[in-house]
Amino acid sequence: MKPVSIYAEPEKRVLFDPSILMAHLSFLAAGALLTAQACVLALTGSLVVGAGVAIARTSASAGLRKAAAVYVDVFRNVPFIVQLFFFYYGLPEIGIYIDAFTTGVVALSIAGGAFASDVIRSGILAIDPGIIEAAEVSGLSKRIIFTKIVLPVALRTSIRPLGSVLINLILTSSILSTITLNELTGSAKIVAADTFRPFEVYAALLVVYAAFTYAVSIAITLLHRRQNRYLGGKVT
Amino acid sequence: MRFAAFTWYDLVLLAQGLGVSLGLFLVTSLLGLALGTLWAVIRYYRVPGLTPLVAFVAELLKNSPVLVQLFLVFFGFPAFFKLNVTPVEAAVITLTGNTAAFIYVIAVAAIDSIGRDQIEAARVFGLTRWQVLRRVIAPQAAAFAIGPLIGLLVNQLQVTSLISVIGVLDLTKIGAILNLRTLKPFIVWTAVGLLYYLAAKLVARIGWRLERRLSRYSAWRGL
Repeated sequence: MKPVSIYAEPEKRVLFDPSILMAHLSFLAAGALLTAQACVLALTGSLVVGAGVAIARTSASAGLRKAAAVYVDVFRNVPFIVQLFFFYYGLPEIGIYIDAFTTGVVALSIAGGAFASDVIRSGILAIDPGIIEAAEVSGLSKRIIFTKIVLPVALRTSIRPLGSVLINLILTSSILSTITLNELTGSAKIVAADTFRPFEVYAALLVVYAAFTYAVSIAITLLHRRQNRYLGGKVT
Repeated sequence: MRFAAFTWYDLVLLAQGLGVSLGLFLVTSLLGLALGTLWAVIRYYRVPGLTPLVAFVAELLKNSPVLVQLFLVFFGFPAFFKLNVTPVEAAVITLTGNTAAFIYVIAVAAIDSIGRDQIEAARVFGLTRWQVLRRVIAPQAAAFAIGPLIGLLVNQLQVTSLISVIGVLDLTKIGAILNLRTLKPFIVWTAVGLLYYLAAKLVARIGWRLERRLSRYSAWRGL
């Protein structure tokens, strides 16, 4: 008796056929939405962490400066996947049970915060000391000077480098698929296993990520120009 | 019976993993350096057809996750081109391409940083385009590029950790194995992270030495 293959006979194959993805578009869209949610949350987290660390790194206290520098040094020089596994497998050990999505967002925020803090710090250091002196002379408190003058100026001039941090976050978020999170890359893995067409799936995914980050970088350049328009063309 | 405790042999495993990570890092960095520089030279000669293609490929590789590139090579290539790709081969191909894309950008900026007047002067003296590249542009461009290059390499060292996902037994994979056996995630991942940190510092230190040497002609020597 002829053995029966459990696999369906492959029909005549078209060389490159991305149309097989059409049936899975809504599933992939759900993954993309999860990626977008994680990125937006992680960007917010990175900005908060980054601003906090940048404050510490430019503060007058030497201990605070040192601690912040160590934080940035560690999280920039250890691979993200190792940090992610540290949190994902480690947190339940100490009795903190959070889902993969939250773990991923927290890990992304902490790692992204290290990169964002460098950017914000150079934005702070680029502020003309005259502005701060003027504010001090006007009798503004330290807190007001920081939140109303230093931070807005620093954030505005560093929109573009912060944009690269965001693009890096989007690309890094694909690593969240390794902790069972079915974001865009994770759901693409499932579709690839489902259709037996990994080449088409991953090629399409590559183009989607590239197109998306390209669009984001254009949007950031426009935003950067608009926010700094009164600087008289000094910021390109 | 489960052997959940740490043994001395685990240190050997970690060292092995570190060796695999560093080895692949070195190989792919050198290959990527060669390929990326070649792409930049193609742009310098304005090879018709190839120049926009190279720019497009570099942009695509720069703007997509390494993990997806890795899956494309490891799962996609065998299915599509009907060739066998081992995890290590897939890792070498992907990391080389990815590194090359970033090195292309650095090399292009370095070549562009050399003033037009120098190149024109050299051409007037009768140097060929290749001689200009080799004798005038390359030494200065190398000094210009070394700073960004070191930053890139420190980053690429961390990117190598992703190849554990397709089953290469690098440092991260060893960490995952130890983690599963001992169920001591904090100790395991701290050790793995520390090794990566030290490796990154080593790369940065070597790079800093190299940078000082390459830029010693243009460095400020005092009066």
